[in-house]
Amino acid sequence: MDASLLLLLAALGDRVPGIVFGLPLILVAALVFAATHHEDPAAIRRATLEWVGWLAGILGGVLVVVWLIGRLV
Amino acid sequence: MGRPSSSPSGRIVAVSPDDGALVDLRSPAVAAALSWLVPGLGQLYQGRRLKGALFMAALVPTFLAGMWIGGGRVVYASWKPGEKRWPFVCQAGIGAAAIPALVQAWRLNGPAKEPLLKSQFLAPPLARGQVVSPGYAARLVEVDPDLDQEDFRPLPPWRQFRPYPGPGALDRRPADQVSIWQTRLGRFFEIGTLYTMIAGMLNLLVAYDAWSGPMRASADEDKA
Repeated sequence: MDASLLLLLAALGDRVPGIVFGLPLILVAALVFAATHHEDPAAIRRATLEWVGWLAGILGGVLVVVWLIGRLV
Repeated sequence: MGRPSSSPSGRIVAVSPDDGALVDLRSPAVAAALSWLVPGLGQLYQGRRLKGALFMAALVPTFLAGMWIGGGRVVYASWKPGEKRWPFVCQAGIGAAAIPALVQAWRLNGPAKEPLLKSQFLAPPLARGQVVSPGYAARLVEVDPDLDQEDFRPLPPWRQFRPYPGPGALDRRPADQVSIWQTRLGRFFEIGTLYTMIAGMLNLLVAYDAWSGPMRASADEDKA
């Protein structure tokens, strides 16, 4: 893995409370969502990645909004 | 959503949205009940081994991780005034792993006034003034570093947990056992609760998958 990516992850883990515990939950939820919508293993794999993107995107967006509000207030 | 239907051979089947193959659901009600009891067991019963193993490998460790993070204190059933354990409604979705919590709550609040084997495992926390059996009180004093003999007042034939202080008296100790757990575990109490809740809620989707097959509509249904 790229060293800068590792550094970014470490910085996120240090600065965002709960992110270390949140990421495995996103992965599990994405896996279950994908597997309950598909039957073929390849389709489940593909859908898991899509769901990870959606869930991480939505939660990341909320995180950014909360962070921005925290900076403004 | 996928709709189960009867095949010409009389079997209940669903259509795979990926390749249109028929998925034999066997007995959907039995499969759903099995999946509720143990994540993925219903899919294994239906012969959908990969999905069964996948669900089991994803949800059982998530629930156990939640229990571990929460020090084994986050799954319990309680419906007392002031201590209604709403997260248990979600945790109960995990099935067999949550059933002992109901047994422990029934035993502790019933005539026995002690959980099964006097074990704190999945037992609800004691509230202020709650009466318990002398045996359970002695056991708690023995195993719980936050409790001592003075926490239980003799109230023959029972023992009473931290009774209400008399008029004018002030008791600065936490009013109930759940406060002690939250003080000891901090945010890990909430994180453990979240893990077990999410595992329980996701397992309801798994049970629904066993009942009706994949939720995504097939390509033909999408066009319709």
